[in-house]
Amino acid sequence: MDIVLRTFAVFAFLLVLTRVIGRRELGSLEPFDLILLIVLGDSVQQGVTQDDYSLTGAFLVVGTFAILQVFVSWVSYRFPRTRSVLEGEPIIIIDDGQLIERNLKRERLSRDEIAEEARNQQIAHISEVRWGVLETTGKISFIKKSS
Amino acid sequence: MADIPDLLVLKRHRDLEGLSTTLWWRRGILALIGIFLLLGLANVFGQRPSSVTASAPAADLKLYAPAHLRGGLLFSARFHIYAHRELKKATLVLDPGWVEAMAINTIEPSPIGEASANGRVSLELGHVPAGQSFILWIQFQVNPTNIAWRRPQNVELDDGATKILTIHRSVTIFP
Repeated sequence: MDIVLRTFAVFAFLLVLTRVIGRRELGSLEPFDLILLIVLGDSVQQGVTQDDYSLTGAFLVVGTFAILQVFVSWVSYRFPRTRSVLEGEPIIIIDDGQLIERNLKRERLSRDEIAEEARNQQIAHISEVRWGVLETTGKISFIKKSS
Repeated sequence: MADIPDLLVLKRHRDLEGLSTTLWWRRGILALIGIFLLLGLANVFGQRPSSVTASAPAADLKLYAPAHLRGGLLFSARFHIYAHRELKKATLVLDPGWVEAMAINTIEPSPIGEASANGRVSLELGHVPAGQSFILWIQFQVNPTNIAWRRPQNVELDDGATKILTIHRSVTIFP
């Protein structure tokens, strides 16, 4: 029973953590982030399975994570009002070629990062963008002005 | 404003109307996590050992062991007996809380005898001359499923059937 409860606790903590640290950290995966992700996974594993090396234990942990993930996505689908809590909401960061400083500050995004993301999507100038949206996944969508 | 992307509402997603509280929620939860980490630094969740000493005319007993632990941790307890007068049959009597859901990896030096003293663990250490010390180390590991809140871990020092002193303490084990 313990292993299921521990998995539940870790899942809930990670869900809250990913919601509060903000999308800035989630959207990019630089080398340091990748290393951190591996270390994080290892640290979590110790707390969940501890000294349990059994196949049954592994099935219980993976099964619990799967069920909870499905449950959260079902809640988000079935009750749209919970979506903003569980997944967050998109934030408009560029409006008609102008960066919205207040929203950038809220998400701890710099002009340089926006410009870099824009270049990644073959956009040379922010002024070419009609809408820039920071999605719930942490990615930035750019919608160009129609010519 | 017909060119607004589908499902985006300018008042909410650009002007952030109704979203200011979420920012404060985020900050509040981050602050709670920060407090949790500070408590960890302050040894609230273990496992830094602390000393407890009890004195009697016949002997002193100093216990050096952590009072806060977490599941799975290895730790050591040091029992330092200093005899003011000769102890012919020094015996440490440990509460069941010392061994409940704990693995005892080793006891050094090995006691001369072990017995149950009305449910407690009695470790007979033998002769300790006046003015000398006897130090006993016990290495433990907390069972991963062991959770306890202020579980008694009293230690009694006897000389044969004579009780000399008692250290009152408890242990808290976090999951």
